[in-house]
Amino acid sequence: MLKLIVQRLLALLPLLFIVSVLTFSFTSLLPSDPVDLIIGDTGTEEQYEIVRERLGLNEPIHLRYLQWLGRAVQGDLGSSFFNSVSVMGAVMQRLPVTLSLTAMSALIAIVIGVAAGVAAALRPRSWVDRFATIGATFGQAVPNFWFGLILVAIFAVNLRWFPATGFTPLTESPWEWLRSVILPSIALGTSSSAAIARQVRSAMVGVLQQDYIRAARAQGLSTRRIIFRHALTNALVPVVAVLSFQITVLLGGALIVEQVFAINGLGTLAIAAVRQQDIPLLQGLVLVMVGLVVLVQLATDIIYGLLNPKARPS
Amino acid sequence: MKALIRNSIVSAVVCVGLGLGATANAEPSGTFKYAEQVKLITMDPQQQSGSGVPYLRPVYESLFEKAPDGKAVPLLATGYEIDGLNVKIMLRQGISFSNGEAFNAEVAAANINRGVQLAIIEGLKTVESAEAIDDYTFVIKLKEPDPAIIDSLCYTGGMMLAPAAMADPTIDRNPIGTGPYVHSKDQSREGEVQVYTPNPTYWDKEMIGLSRYEVWEIPDDTARLNALKTGQIDAGNWLANPQAAIIDRTAGLKLVRNTGGLNYHVIISDREGTVVPAFADRNVRLAMAHSIDRAAFGKAVLFGLSEDSYQPYAKGSWAYNPDLEGVYAYDVDKAKEYMAKSAFPDGFTFDMPSIPIYQSRLEALAGFFKEIGITMNIAPVEPGTLARRSRTTDFPATNLVWNTNTDPKFLSLRYIYEDAAYNPFKTKPSEELLSLAEAGLQSVETDVRGPIYQKLAAKLAEEAFLIFVANSPILIGASEKTDANPTVVYRYGEDSINLRGLKAND
Repeated sequence: MLKLIVQRLLALLPLLFIVSVLTFSFTSLLPSDPVDLIIGDTGTEEQYEIVRERLGLNEPIHLRYLQWLGRAVQGDLGSSFFNSVSVMGAVMQRLPVTLSLTAMSALIAIVIGVAAGVAAALRPRSWVDRFATIGATFGQAVPNFWFGLILVAIFAVNLRWFPATGFTPLTESPWEWLRSVILPSIALGTSSSAAIARQVRSAMVGVLQQDYIRAARAQGLSTRRIIFRHALTNALVPVVAVLSFQITVLLGGALIVEQVFAINGLGTLAIAAVRQQDIPLLQGLVLVMVGLVVLVQLATDIIYGLLNPKARPS
Repeated sequence: MKALIRNSIVSAVVCVGLGLGATANAEPSGTFKYAEQVKLITMDPQQQSGSGVPYLRPVYESLFEKAPDGKAVPLLATGYEIDGLNVKIMLRQGISFSNGEAFNAEVAAANINRGVQLAIIEGLKTVESAEAIDDYTFVIKLKEPDPAIIDSLCYTGGMMLAPAAMADPTIDRNPIGTGPYVHSKDQSREGEVQVYTPNPTYWDKEMIGLSRYEVWEIPDDTARLNALKTGQIDAGNWLANPQAAIIDRTAGLKLVRNTGGLNYHVIISDREGTVVPAFADRNVRLAMAHSIDRAAFGKAVLFGLSEDSYQPYAKGSWAYNPDLEGVYAYDVDKAKEYMAKSAFPDGFTFDMPSIPIYQSRLEALAGFFKEIGITMNIAPVEPGTLARRSRTTDFPATNLVWNTNTDPKFLSLRYIYEDAAYNPFKTKPSEELLSLAEAGLQSVETDVRGPIYQKLAAKLAEEAFLIFVANSPILIGASEKTDANPTVVYRYGEDSINLRGLKAND
């Protein structure tokens, strides 16, 4: 297992390098210009040139990239074009927000998805199964930002049970933190719960027809024990792969849902960085997001190995 | 401009209490929460090129400020004298910055010189330098006559930074001014909320009414609306969009239309017909002006929150010309007559640059122009590049907004002079237009300048290379309690609340 972790972490380095080159190149190819935003509508050509020079934008792109890379390998991702806020500081400040949202969404997705999938698999073609299937279809079809707006309208604006906007850090107030993440997490996690429910149902139906399950039943084991000890453990193996993918989707989806709930996470930062063509900030964000995705995949491989000994590296 | 203009200290005393309507409790209490639609970029006023002034006002005070009637009155200054190219400014004594540094003429001059050197603030572009002549008097030397210089010192150009802040490379997040509040970095959350607490060294403590002031960064219009509905914020600013229209018709909320705003207009850049020969024909330009159904445009595109516009200034401005109301009112028949009289009766085609927020505006305009045989191709440009592209000959025409609170002298600097920023084809202005533009610079008195700029607006309407379409006022959404709070005074021409004397709603 240690070998697997080391292998994956080593593979992360060339991946980050390639991603950084691509991000830097593509961003620099965009026709818009951060200097326009800095000097505003009334800026002159002279000011434009002064600011371009100050930001180093007149340097050839490969030199700018190498300078950035030189600092990045020392842990310095630079500062935003627009202020003195360090990229690392900005990203690290927002990372817990997006991780909170993603973790809570994943939890909701797993609880609802596994429960619905198991319930549907135990009674195939029953009303429970049909209800779960319709629910899963609905969950996957509904855009999360729209669902978020509906949740805000009902539970925040009308009922006032939850705040309509904003995020409270866990360290400030655990109760307010929970209240601030619950609606966005439901909005975000619903489609993933649908995907997980479908996968769990399909896997469970297959597992419940296996000989060892029939043997367990013949031995007189309780239904609960058969489901949770024998069937679900095996059915979860393919589910873990789906979950890994869904967590990546949740990270991406958080970018949009953060806007709806005015949550100041990586998504809000990313959208501002794209709008402003803030290349250093974009670079930092992309690297962090890639790192997160790789870590999720690594965690998946580890869990996969724990659930399925045959999948462990020799 | 030759005359000596004196502004008395008495007016300073009057104005300091003015703004502001009410005095606050000796003991500051309560919180007021304001939401800003633009993200905080910098807290350095001299590097601020766009919106975001509500983040600065709690900390920074300017030398002058606008009274509710729009006139410039002293704040950190006590008065001024203008003699040709020299502007002498007298300062209030006994003021210190929140870090304890003294505010005096040397510091004020250093602030102006820094603003000139950074060259971001449009209002300081006529300034050569500034110099202290005694402890509380300094002189601003102008490069050319500038009747709007005192006006410019009401905004970011006149905001005073502490010497330590000017030397701090992280000033954009560590502001130090003389204002009633200080920025609390510890309590603020970057990208989410900026928190301000009372300035213990403030020179007019009676005017501090809050124990905490917060500016929330909520760029999403719907999220900001929800925050207002649920009481998470007390007020916030909006553009003319569906969410602002919802506030306008929601019981318990109030949409305040503050003085000033944005004037949307079409600019015929190629008015000598270098690329599009038809644009040299005044009949064509008048046809275009008459073809626009401004009422329908305002209703459909600006959600009924705008007013039809035929000139650069809105009603209430000293430069507004009432005679121009409806000067090229919607009249398709008249527009077609002008086209028939022109050398281009069969119409023509041209390209117009567009950014996403202007797309619906341009689609509406394209529909109006189509009615008279003119095909306007909408050419998307990258967001953020419209202003720069409009200063080039890439497009024969463009579309922009103009802040109606801007002094009329900038109209000439942007559109009229041969070297004006938005005159990329370097068209020479007519003699009459040029002489009016020059005449407008010869006095600082709005009573004198007003009639001149009204004539200039009439001449612009006649030449029709600037086609004004709609004025959207500054829109501030407020809760019922904020609306009923007598200490809430909206700053003239700004999307912010005057914090001197502001008390919490409860």
